[in-house]
Amino acid sequence: MKSGSEKKKRLASWKENFADVGAQLFNYLFILLASLLIGAIVILLSGKDPIAAYVALFDGAFGSGLKFADTLDRTTIMILAGIAGSIAFRTNIINLGLEGQLYIGAFAAAWVGFTFHGLPSYVHIPLCILAGVLGGALWTVPVIYLKLSWNIPVLVPTLMMNYIAIRFTEYLIAFPFRDPGAPMAGSPRLAQSARLPRLIQGSTINIGFILAILIAIIAFWFLFKTKTGYEMRMVGLNKDFAAAAGIPVNRSYILALTLSGGTIGLGGAMMIMGFFGRFLGGFSPGYGWDGFMIAIIAQNHPIGVLPAALFYGGLANGAMAMQSATGVPQAVVAMVKGTLVLSVTVKVFIEGMRKRLQQWVI
Amino acid sequence: MGNIDIRSVLTLALIASSFRMATPIIFATMGGIFSSHTGIFNVAMEGFLLIGAFFAVYGSVQTGSPLGGMLFAIVSCLLASLIFAILHLELKANPIIVGLGMNIFAIGMTNYLLTALLDSTGVYKSNLIIGFTQIQIPVIETVPVLGDLVSGHFPLVYIAFLTVYVVYLILYKTPFGFHLRSVGEKIDAAESIGVNPKKMKYYGLLVSGLLCAFGGTFLSLSYLNLFGEGMVAGRGWLALAAINFGGMRPVPSMIGCLIFGFMDALAVRLQQFGLPSQVVLMLPYATTIIVLLVSAIIARKKRMAGIGKQDDVDVSVATSSKKVEV
Repeated sequence: MKSGSEKKKRLASWKENFADVGAQLFNYLFILLASLLIGAIVILLSGKDPIAAYVALFDGAFGSGLKFADTLDRTTIMILAGIAGSIAFRTNIINLGLEGQLYIGAFAAAWVGFTFHGLPSYVHIPLCILAGVLGGALWTVPVIYLKLSWNIPVLVPTLMMNYIAIRFTEYLIAFPFRDPGAPMAGSPRLAQSARLPRLIQGSTINIGFILAILIAIIAFWFLFKTKTGYEMRMVGLNKDFAAAAGIPVNRSYILALTLSGGTIGLGGAMMIMGFFGRFLGGFSPGYGWDGFMIAIIAQNHPIGVLPAALFYGGLANGAMAMQSATGVPQAVVAMVKGTLVLSVTVKVFIEGMRKRLQQWVI
Repeated sequence: MGNIDIRSVLTLALIASSFRMATPIIFATMGGIFSSHTGIFNVAMEGFLLIGAFFAVYGSVQTGSPLGGMLFAIVSCLLASLIFAILHLELKANPIIVGLGMNIFAIGMTNYLLTALLDSTGVYKSNLIIGFTQIQIPVIETVPVLGDLVSGHFPLVYIAFLTVYVVYLILYKTPFGFHLRSVGEKIDAAESIGVNPKKMKYYGLLVSGLLCAFGGTFLSLSYLNLFGEGMVAGRGWLALAAINFGGMRPVPSMIGCLIFGFMDALAVRLQQFGLPSQVVLMLPYATTIIVLLVSAIIARKKRMAGIGKQDDVDVSVATSSKKVEV
């Protein structure tokens, strides 16, 4: 008797969960279509065919096995950037410094990669990765100091640190570590032992992608299954309440920023070790900002980051193909991304509309 | 590098160009003060400046006049801030996220329109862009020192400083300003005297859009007549730092802007002396962080001093630091 009602309850809650997931999917579908529609209108206004453009975009991203593999390679950095954004957001830290942390992490990894020679790969690669993570994490230290000692919100300082990081790495490759043989301003090449092994011939996809997925799973486990992760989320929900409950608020802030910086620093290391093979000035077209948007779209859920990152990876990879095939400028993709984020912010509104729709239907 | 004569760096021209560099930041700061007083920390100003700068150039090319360009900038920035206001106030979206979304959207949009409307990528430079011309003030122009500092600027530089005064008057000397500030300080009290907080928040955001249009126009139609993707270079964020520095009061915030403007001008000047551009271009951003730190230290000292004699607690500083916290 008792177990029967329990079963019913469980079934009911499962049903509720299912309806919830369905509602979420509806939301995303609606938002996605709305963004693509706005993109289509813009393309139409400039006198081009939106359907041909989107077909070319899709074909460029997923059209063949190798194209898909390249898209997955782009997804690596998107995943790590999205995780970095999510970890900070969960603790209610708006880390606008992802871009700068990415540059510093990438340079630190590159430095270890081109300075040391003759190491075996199984030593060199982990060393480079460690340098990338530390670089990204340590770049947040000034921001942490300002926040904890002087109660200065992280918003402006993290952003200022971006400009400083980009200029600083530009300086490093223009003077102390300049490689005169590089095609554009860049550091010397990494030693072969520091390059990430590729997974498929003919594509740039490498073990970094697998690592990124592992990081997403670890981030999920850390945020939702450990005490420290729980504490960080509580601080994010209400820091006064968390403090009253004896949760170490400052420690959570420190962790949020350093883990966030470390994750995107790892992403920078992956890009340099897997794709570029040397540090190039201005190598990121805004991956930090992409990560920020991915985190918002995924509602700061590490597993939700995966599909969002794939979508962004596809957009990034397909945009070029679209431009060369149909003459529609790549920038249209940036507009679609912007619309997407703006639509997600009004989720509340969309949620309300869905409920009204449901009332009509039923 | 060590043999730079300080006297050849710190010239009157440097001070004069500090005014120029501070101008767009002053416009954004004054706009941001309006929205901050209604309790909205406007992080979209970076995007508004970019939109303003782009449409000023486009409008100038279309109409053949800098004023026409400015009109385009004003209309587009008002529209952008109206979208921001609707997303936040009507659709209840988080203002910080909307603001950041607006910035990203602004980058995408100007980037796209640059290709679609002006057929160029990255930078648009053309003889078709008609910019403002400098104003030589008669009489003052011939006075030594003063003439160098005050005369020969672009009209928007004078308007920026005038705006500071006007914003001060509106906020502190009119009933409208009192009502606006009451919304940010004590929303219940504001409602009890019949102020509509939502309406005030609309005003705050629209004014910040309007003034960012002026700032954006200055960026692209004065001194250099061009539009470049990265031309705003964080000035919308420097404005937020300046508002924080000045505790949302117009004149102290303007001083913050002048500090940033000076650092900008100094960076350009030091480059001419052969210092690596990458290093000197860090100056304004590093200064911002230091300014934030210094203002936090000063605020804490004031509060400490206030604890002794309870009546003299500086309310404006205490409330402003609370409001700006995110």
